[in-house]
Amino acid sequence: MENVIEVKELTKFYGSLLAVDHVKFEVKGKEIFGLLGPNGAGKTTTIRMICGMLRPTSGTAVIAGFDVSQKPEEVKRRIGLVPDVSNLFGELSARVNLEFMGKLYGLDKKTRRERIDQVLELFQLKERQNDLVKYYSKGMHRRLTIAAALLHQPEILIMDEPTSGLDAQTARLVREIIIDLNKEGRTILLTTHQIDEADRLAQRVGIIDRGRLIALDTPEQIKNSTQGMRALEVKVLNGVDQQRWIPIIKEAEGVDKAFLAEGKIRILSKNLSQMIPTVVNLVDKQGGKIENISVAQPTLEDAFINLTGKSIREEPMSKEDDVRRRLARSGLR
Amino acid sequence: MKPLTSLMHSVWIAENDLRQSFKSVRHVVWSLLFPIFMMLTFSFRYGATGPDKDFINFLIPGIVGMTAMFGSINETMSIVWDKSLGVFDRILAAPVSSTSIIVGKTMAGAVMGVISALVLLIIGAALFGVSFTNISVVLLIILLASFSFTGIGTIISGLASEPREAMMLSNLLRFPMMFLGGVFFPIEAMPTPLPYVARALPLTYATEALRIIQTANSSMVLLDAMVLLAYTVATILFGSQILMRIMTR
Repeated sequence: MENVIEVKELTKFYGSLLAVDHVKFEVKGKEIFGLLGPNGAGKTTTIRMICGMLRPTSGTAVIAGFDVSQKPEEVKRRIGLVPDVSNLFGELSARVNLEFMGKLYGLDKKTRRERIDQVLELFQLKERQNDLVKYYSKGMHRRLTIAAALLHQPEILIMDEPTSGLDAQTARLVREIIIDLNKEGRTILLTTHQIDEADRLAQRVGIIDRGRLIALDTPEQIKNSTQGMRALEVKVLNGVDQQRWIPIIKEAEGVDKAFLAEGKIRILSKNLSQMIPTVVNLVDKQGGKIENISVAQPTLEDAFINLTGKSIREEPMSKEDDVRRRLARSGLR
Repeated sequence: MKPLTSLMHSVWIAENDLRQSFKSVRHVVWSLLFPIFMMLTFSFRYGATGPDKDFINFLIPGIVGMTAMFGSINETMSIVWDKSLGVFDRILAAPVSSTSIIVGKTMAGAVMGVISALVLLIIGAALFGVSFTNISVVLLIILLASFSFTGIGTIISGLASEPREAMMLSNLLRFPMMFLGGVFFPIEAMPTPLPYVARALPLTYATEALRIIQTANSSMVLLDAMVLLAYTVATILFGSQILMRIMTR
């Protein structure tokens, strides 16, 4: 399949802060590509440059054959952008919001009406089409934001953290919509800091950390990059804070990584058979009792930790990452 | 992009901005309440039908100019709100040129200034019988003044990083301009060097022109109109430069 998005050594400095560092990847037509990384990694800055909303310090992106630095308006015509935060006009109704977007994308009156009816129907918003958007729930906001991005029927959909901040039910609905849109033949580039989302949705994943793309492959291949490392899941009994055991377990011989994942202590090691008795003895010596211990397949999160040395969920954001995140979120300034 | 398409983008952006502003009745009422309150307070204090009818004729043009200033600057500052709420990104992500965005925002500011000023003008005429020799010239002066205040609004919007900063910056300009722009007191009565400061403000020329056109020939306001035009060109060009730099950075 032909490349629809070609990101070529994109680099962005905010003053002296390097937000995106020579990022390079391609997205094939009709593919779901996930850009995975923690908050402040440079994901939003990267997609803002791809969409022609931010000028790169160096490098460029070619979208559907158009160089974004030279033909930003042609690129914008071919992209539907779903930002991480719903950015519709709250004082206007859903229909008026869509009317305005349709006009900006050059749709004539008849086409505009037809498409608006279509997307409102598709996203089950027809009954509330004349209500002011500020009275919408989070899920409705998200659905309307996706609807607005689809109005001009773009071949490429770029979604920034599509399920971030949504309840489980709405997040599932949004994921189903993403899969359906892909089945219709749309190329989708999404960013996420949720590993399971990238694992579930993306056919290929790029891991971005501190502005650099550090891995790029299918989720399966990235998981295999743990190179023989196996995972052990441990839960210590007696309601003891599981987090307290992590520094203790980390000290044990043969432990490569230990971290908390979904309420359990997850241990990565290349020698699992030796690891099980070591951990059991260690916990016992420290006065704890193991409630549950099991061997697990390496996940994308294990691979992420292996690559970056930190957990995507638990690592507190560094000051530099926070500045990077704020700059990307603030958009213009 | 074709010039007509670019112009239509600007018109739609302006229409969208104004639609939002007029959607909220409270917003419109509150923004007009301040100048109406000022007009009524000063008028009743000095008596609309008494010997100080001259003061009413002096006051109303000033209030009209001041209202254009508040209306235009407030409307243009929506850029800062749009930036902070992320809705500006929605326009930036669309295939619309930066010039169209700036022209659209400027149009919205100017239209809001003109509409606000006209409301006060009608109230002034209805309640106190204020009249002008040439209404077309009055409209032209209000339009030029509104554009120059819109230019100031774009500069504020370009410099401010968030709404609170924009509010502070605009108050820093609007309130001194209100008191030094000859709205309530003639600038000739101000102590030195305040008349010189007043002569640097666009509101001074707007109020002066509107007062002249109450009794004199239209040609007498030519100089004021030229100064307002120069202000319009300078502020809009400067404001656009700042916004353009931010949008295309």
